[in-house]
Amino acid sequence: MNTDRLPGARSLALVGILFVIAPLPVLGSGYYIGVLSRILLFALFALALNIVFGHNDQLFLFMGGLGGVGAYTTALVADSFGVTPWIGLPVAALLCGVIAMSVSWVSARRRFTVILISILTLNLQLVFSEAFIGARDLTGGSTGFPYELFSLSGVADAVGVPTAVVLYYLILAFLLAGMVLYLWLIKSSRYGIAFEAIREDELAAESIGIDVVRYKAIAGFIAGVLIAIAGTLLAREASYITPSIFTFLAVDVIALIVLIVGGIRRTYGPIVGAIIVEVIEAALGTYAANWRTAIFGGLLIILFLYFRSGVIVAAEDLLEDWDISLGGGNGGTPTEADAES
Amino acid sequence: MVTVSTLAALAVDGLAFGASLALLGVGITLVYGLGEVLNLAIGAFAVIAAITAALLVDGGMSLPIAILAGLAFVGVFGLLVDRTLLSLVYRSEGEERILLGIFTTLGLTVLLEGIMVNYVSSRYSLPLNISPIDVGATVVTGTSAVSIVVTAVIIAVLFLFLNRTFLGKATRTIFQDERGARLVGIDPRKLRTLVFVLSAVVAGLAGILAAARSNVSVANSFQFTTFALIVSIVGGIRSLVGAVVAGLVLGLINTYANFFVGSYFATIILFGAAIVFLLVRPEVMSS
Repeated sequence: MNTDRLPGARSLALVGILFVIAPLPVLGSGYYIGVLSRILLFALFALALNIVFGHNDQLFLFMGGLGGVGAYTTALVADSFGVTPWIGLPVAALLCGVIAMSVSWVSARRRFTVILISILTLNLQLVFSEAFIGARDLTGGSTGFPYELFSLSGVADAVGVPTAVVLYYLILAFLLAGMVLYLWLIKSSRYGIAFEAIREDELAAESIGIDVVRYKAIAGFIAGVLIAIAGTLLAREASYITPSIFTFLAVDVIALIVLIVGGIRRTYGPIVGAIIVEVIEAALGTYAANWRTAIFGGLLIILFLYFRSGVIVAAEDLLEDWDISLGGGNGGTPTEADAES
Repeated sequence: MVTVSTLAALAVDGLAFGASLALLGVGITLVYGLGEVLNLAIGAFAVIAAITAALLVDGGMSLPIAILAGLAFVGVFGLLVDRTLLSLVYRSEGEERILLGIFTTLGLTVLLEGIMVNYVSSRYSLPLNISPIDVGATVVTGTSAVSIVVTAVIIAVLFLFLNRTFLGKATRTIFQDERGARLVGIDPRKLRTLVFVLSAVVAGLAGILAAARSNVSVANSFQFTTFALIVSIVGGIRSLVGAVVAGLVLGLINTYANFFVGSYFATIILFGAAIVFLLVRPEVMSS
């Protein structure tokens, strides 16, 4: 990759390589592949949130619902038109992009504050959740249906690895593509500069000719597309789709924690946060599965009370500790990776 | 063909459900109006009161005392939350405080839900055992009638408190002008504590009435919170009268929609109403 055109490309390549080799020591273990896949999936959700909330002050609290729309749409398009899900996925991504863009556009037009957007999208989330359960003919209601799209098992048989490993690399490809998009968008395109100006002072940005509504709508569209992809892959990872995968507590709360833990507006914040949160989650799953929800609730409170403003510094200190304790490198924590160009 | 008496019975049930909604809406509105904290844990308060009362009844306590104990328990719990968590939230100001309030109370509701599922994981109900009442051609369930009457009394008392007592007037002063209130010697923090405890008790009553009508489980807490949120959006987050009216109207709409088009669609109508109101009148949520 040409580092002149894409700042941070070298760091990203390094992170990519770490994630490519991450599953090698644990190829035989479906459990660890699952944990690694969830790290990537929630990094992808948090990446979308980083763009739309971190850089655009639009707090989307309907990532679960939107991800669900993406997942169901991918399957339904593939099923009802008899096409491959590789056609269904772009359709779903486009649909979710347009939904998110409309929300952003309306919110920006009406000058919604971040609080109003969060309440609006939370309501949308609940509508989607109800619709997934209620529209039984399409979604199979709360019992759902098997979700084994993208004929990954064929690839897996050909290569001679478990299907979960193929899925992991598929998710990784999408995450890295998302990261390239992020680096380009935020770090080197005029969009990044416009986002920054709008975030600093919306009125001032408008006065120097930045079309605030347009930029916010674009950020919403990009987030919507990423969320649709993440949602589809999340269902594929579970290999069975039910509304319970896409609830507010299952997706939005976790993605929010991931982003705040990792550091909002940090290039590798979503990835770092996802590693930390999923390691905690895996540890809890083994030792205190019943207390998982309670602990994440407590974590949410503490994060926002004590680390919200100073989270970047705090996360860096935290990361140095984690780097030592992770040691083996099966996570690939990119501590100093981001040069903040 | 749906008979008139069915429609009337539905109206009573709708008002009874609306009574719970109104109480939840009042609970969330009181706290937001006074301290700009959108209490997303209000549903958990409702569930805590209902489950406490149900457990006490199971333990052999008489129903009225168990209900009072449940309300007292959630009141004390509200006090605890106010003195600890909210004290930290009130340190920040303006939009920062609103956002912080949303996240900490959201974290609190997840925390409480996560703790409660480990101990009280079944469904709890508080049957009032009141026989149906005949009103002309219509038969009204006793529980619905009691729900409506109790809510009406509580809301009347609340309004009397806010409009007639010194403490209530002081509270309303802060609603309108916090700085002015401070200038005449009113301590907003103390009144915020009082109002938060009050809102926890009011929400607790909503939960107890819900348990009396059918049953309540830990999983309902977030649902109650969303109901409270919808009511406050439709009624206007700072208007108590608005919350009561919106609660009753939404309760009626929901019950009729439930009957005619099914429960999922009815719920979607509720959220849809909130979204429409947000888009048409976003100023109701801003300060």
